[in-house]
Amino acid sequence: MKITILNGNPNASNETFDKYLKQLSTDLVSNGHDVDVLGLRNMDISYCIGCFNCWVKTPGICNTDDEGRDVCRAYINSDFVLWASPVIMGFYSALLKKVTDKFVCLVHPYGEFVEGEVHHLPRYKHYPQGGMLLEKGPDTDVDDLQIISDIHSRTMLNFKSELAFTKLTHDPVEEVVDAINRV
Amino acid sequence: MQLTVFNGSPRGRKSNSKIILDQFLSGFEATPGNSFELHYLNRLKETEHFVQAYAEAETVLIAHPLYTDSMPAIVKAFIEELESLSGKEGNPPLGLIIQSGFVAAIHSRYVERYWEKFSRRLGSRYLGTIIKGGCEPLHRSEKQFQKVLDGFYELGKDFGETGQFNEKMVKKLAEPEKISTLMRLIVQLVWKVSGNGYWDDWLKENEAYEKSFAQPYVDTK
Repeated sequence: MKITILNGNPNASNETFDKYLKQLSTDLVSNGHDVDVLGLRNMDISYCIGCFNCWVKTPGICNTDDEGRDVCRAYINSDFVLWASPVIMGFYSALLKKVTDKFVCLVHPYGEFVEGEVHHLPRYKHYPQGGMLLEKGPDTDVDDLQIISDIHSRTMLNFKSELAFTKLTHDPVEEVVDAINRV
Repeated sequence: MQLTVFNGSPRGRKSNSKIILDQFLSGFEATPGNSFELHYLNRLKETEHFVQAYAEAETVLIAHPLYTDSMPAIVKAFIEELESLSGKEGNPPLGLIIQSGFVAAIHSRYVERYWEKFSRRLGSRYLGTIIKGGCEPLHRSEKQFQKVLDGFYELGKDFGETGQFNEKMVKKLAEPEKISTLMRLIVQLVWKVSGNGYWDDWLKENEAYEKSFAQPYVDTK
């Protein structure tokens, strides 16, 4: 499988998190996967400003020419994407949310009915499956994890996919590899 | 009552959140003695000032659009700056206004849970979340939404008088919670007969209608 890992760790001094992802990436490669880890904090990506030009002016492409475009390209050409982030104030990082907002260009503005709700029409034939990997903070509790998972399940639904799992960096790397292998 | 308001829309002064807030706040100000200060979170360089304003507030109101099923990244970035207030005594009561392009309120219920938890994290009294869907066209055709705007004015007025979000009014404004079967059939018929007028008009203005289904990121290798 082609796998993209979105490393949403905003803090270079949090080495434990990056090391976990490095180990995960190595193990996934030895399981035969093609893995790309995107270190978002070192990429030049602007915030989505809600202009909708990626729907109504230059359909499919964000108006802002920065590395956000590279993340979108990597995303749509993957079979599986892992959202990876420390939990900060009860949610995944603003850094990771920044690229998630950018993915709006990957769907079409028109609506369609999915499970009795309006969601956006797909722009592409194929969308990757998604998974979530979180590092608990000192104040993270089960409610936080449930809220993040539930919100992200909705996001995955809007991106024509589903959330395959939510794992923690407390879990052994092999467990995450297994979960991805089962996708 | 003194209200500290944060507009969390990345569109700032040109946002649907602003149109809604204008109504809510003019209702709020109808009660003598009420006043507010307004901050635009898209002014990224003013974060330090925003955090201070939050910490010193009597009551806080945050308004934001729904972005990929939660708060826009600029709002999450602001939240991260508020970490120092977590667990502190005396944090201000907090209310939310969330508007979305999706018509049904259900899309915004998930992030509502986040904000309710956020209030607990700060030990703040949670005033509630006002949700309104179908708001994307506001900035292009405000006049068609007089009923919605009046709803926000009335809610703001009631809040200005009572200091609470009126549950009945909040529930009514949020309707429809979900799309009924009848509504679905009507919407599907409209789509079939007259297309997606709102987006089509905008695409045509930009001479982009023909390429609306472009797939620029498909790898050709």
